[in-house]
Amino acid sequence: MEAKFISHDDTTGWLDALSEQHVVLAPMWDNTVVTFRPHVKGRTPVLDRMPVLPPKEGVFPQNEMLLKYKYDKDPENLDRTSVQVKETLPQDTAVVVGARPCGTRGMTVFDRVYNCEKIRDPYYVGRRENTLFVTVACTRIESTCFCHDVGSHPADAEASDVLLVPVAGGYVAEPVTERGNALLDSPFFAPAGERSAEAAEVKEKNRAKLPAAHDYTGCGEKLMDRFNDLAFWEEQSAKCISCGACTYLCPTCYCFNITDESVGLTGKRLRTWDNCMSFQFTLEGSGHNPRPTKAHRLRNRVNHKFAYYPDLHGGAIACCGCGRCIKSCPVSVDIRAIVRAAQTYTPKPAPEGGDER
Amino acid sequence: MSARTGVLTEGRELRIVGFLCNWCSYGGADTAGVARFEQPTDLRIIRVPCSGRIDPLFIMRALVSGADGVLVSGCHPRDCHYAEGNYYARRRLELLKQFLPITGIDPQRFEYTWVSASEGARWQDVVTKFTNRIHDLGPAPRMQGGSGYDELCLKQIEEGVKQGAACPCHKERAL
Amino acid sequence: MSTLEQLKEQIRKALPDLDVVIGWEQGYDAMHATPLFIREEADIDRLIWSPLCVHSLGTYLTGLTKSSKVQKVGLVVKGCDSRAIVQLTQERMIPRENVTLFGVGCSGCLSHARLEYKVEQGGHYVEDMHAITFNGDKVEVAVDGGVESFDFDTVCLEKCLTCRFPNAIATEHFAGEEVPVAPKREKAPSLEAFEKLPLDERFAFWQDQMRRCVRCYACRNTCPMCVCRDHCISTSRNPHWVSQEASTAENFMFQMIHTMHLAGRCIECGECQRACPVDLPIMLFRRTMVHAVKDTFNYVSGADPEATPPLLTFKAEEDNINERGW
Repeated sequence: MEAKFISHDDTTGWLDALSEQHVVLAPMWDNTVVTFRPHVKGRTPVLDRMPVLPPKEGVFPQNEMLLKYKYDKDPENLDRTSVQVKETLPQDTAVVVGARPCGTRGMTVFDRVYNCEKIRDPYYVGRRENTLFVTVACTRIESTCFCHDVGSHPADAEASDVLLVPVAGGYVAEPVTERGNALLDSPFFAPAGERSAEAAEVKEKNRAKLPAAHDYTGCGEKLMDRFNDLAFWEEQSAKCISCGACTYLCPTCYCFNITDESVGLTGKRLRTWDNCMSFQFTLEGSGHNPRPTKAHRLRNRVNHKFAYYPDLHGGAIACCGCGRCIKSCPVSVDIRAIVRAAQTYTPKPAPEGGDER
Repeated sequence: MSARTGVLTEGRELRIVGFLCNWCSYGGADTAGVARFEQPTDLRIIRVPCSGRIDPLFIMRALVSGADGVLVSGCHPRDCHYAEGNYYARRRLELLKQFLPITGIDPQRFEYTWVSASEGARWQDVVTKFTNRIHDLGPAPRMQGGSGYDELCLKQIEEGVKQGAACPCHKERAL
Repeated sequence: MSTLEQLKEQIRKALPDLDVVIGWEQGYDAMHATPLFIREEADIDRLIWSPLCVHSLGTYLTGLTKSSKVQKVGLVVKGCDSRAIVQLTQERMIPRENVTLFGVGCSGCLSHARLEYKVEQGGHYVEDMHAITFNGDKVEVAVDGGVESFDFDTVCLEKCLTCRFPNAIATEHFAGEEVPVAPKREKAPSLEAFEKLPLDERFAFWQDQMRRCVRCYACRNTCPMCVCRDHCISTSRNPHWVSQEASTAENFMFQMIHTMHLAGRCIECGECQRACPVDLPIMLFRRTMVHAVKDTFNYVSGADPEATPPLLTFKAEEDNINERGW
């Protein structure tokens, strides 16, 4: 597998060609924000920034129909109904172009849960195995970025099939997998040649832009130490407004809800993104809610990413460090600060003359 | 179209939803029926206890779900069975009426009025006029498509690309 | 003494009688403020006051005052924020006697979205902004070693252009000078422009916008007037007002719910639109409703603690409702 070069002008033509065979999801302007949308021939993808919405949409769409159903009433006996069910498994092959390394790497968090020995989710796996990721190495380090804190870097090719590195005039395309290599078998590409050296330089330069990495080693235990300290979580969650911006924009949040949406005698069973910051997420049929306040819910979100998940999956942190949850939070809740607060927690000294019983 | 009944000559019906209060307008519609006044058949009536029970969202939900018109009718002001339900209704419905244009839904598709239980002829007049009006407007446009990428969205982008815009979806931040 | 110093002093004096005072502190970078919960005197030092302090802190009130641990709450409020408190008081949604307001005069807040757009137009990367100073009607942003200067009016929140309540009203304390009431526009420019469109183009506009809503409910949860909190009908399955599916029509329906439930209550703080991660122009709905309420009932929400909200009352003969002669 060798690195190749594609000019800026040719990227659109390449995506046009790819879209003949696959659904191509690429970032585009949707009014004033950039989101992933299917590529339409002739449209230039927006590859110079991180899209607002995460690339998980390509494999784990916000609305996914699991099956369709239809009730038939027996005309002889209206009490008797039969139901027809039609499964709707994903069929298309897809290429997700233009995600950042952080977003693409988020898919590994999904894989450990939906495609493992215990569970093989047919809908997820159906899409995952037929979806390739063409990732763009990151050149824009924002104040909310912390991919390097969670063990990645701006040119990380983990979970990608091709890595595009921006160089003068275009991109150096580095194949990562065999299937990714096949995507580069196209007349729009030329051998990278000396540009490979430039690409290596770009990668190095952007890596150097990041501040020293924060060490999250052992943060899981520290967070678990605070598990029963609700005062700690009330303080950390005080400004949280309990909306779902952080979870819906997160490339690693994989929770879903299943509902039947009926109209008359027909309907569909839907799988939709769910949001652990919502009161309804854990609301039980009895009316009891084990996570009644936002403190309980934020504790779950942070701990899930930095304590429970690593505990179950060999220490892997379920956060890709893209910073969307910080950047898009209406009140700027900073997940990094919460984990750090747990890591550096020291009990407050008892006030003088206080009750010492 | 028959001018008197509002039923299209080709017999095609539109979906018109009517929210009628139990005490006056539902009775009025009944009176019209008993008196065998000819009426268009497009209206599907939902009986509610009082016009004060009508949340403007009932009307929005109907319009979003595919109704071509929504008619609300209650007791005349000062005649409410519960003394003041229709006064509250009037305020809410008036606001909705004024709000509709911003959504792009024609405010003509929604109307509220008052018909008493004895006014069978008036009911016939109201329902005929309203049905005629909706037929003149034709079927209502509907919000279509799933979130993100559906056929319609792609078609719009395609059009834009054909017209020469590299990225027709990028609209400048107005404010 | 500066406004901030006065404010700190007032909070310092009042804090012993309060469980918590909510203000703003510097956020994760130079461009962002974030809400600050002051529980101890030492926290007061972190308080800031600048056009970065966009958040309407009234949104925390309905949750806090129901908590058994918090009895007395202090709140720093701008003009628009204080209107939310007035409106909530009218509706008896908060125990007003347990709330202490620290008012300030505000000459406008920054719109991060508009600033970022301007900075990009100027050929810079938004992530290179590393300092911001507000200098009268100028905003200076340090980018890549240089400084870009903008007129404040071109980067402020749209609500600030039409603001008629720059000074907090009905507060216990007030810090600094009062700001003169000088709305720069009669009507929000975006609404003015939108109203020129014919109906079918408006419908097409919303069709195009609503598909990108992810229904994260940030608009609802930042709204100080959304008091139902965990029991909102848009997330309830029974009654089932909106489908779980985030389709264009259902997203639109949710926005209708929010707008209708704000009729005669919305105080135009604009938090819903500011909070939206996908930048939906939903203030067009809210502002239209505000204008309709003003035209029909001559009522401005959150302006007078003694007034009755228009949808909680009626007149047998309405002044401005035409019975339309059916």
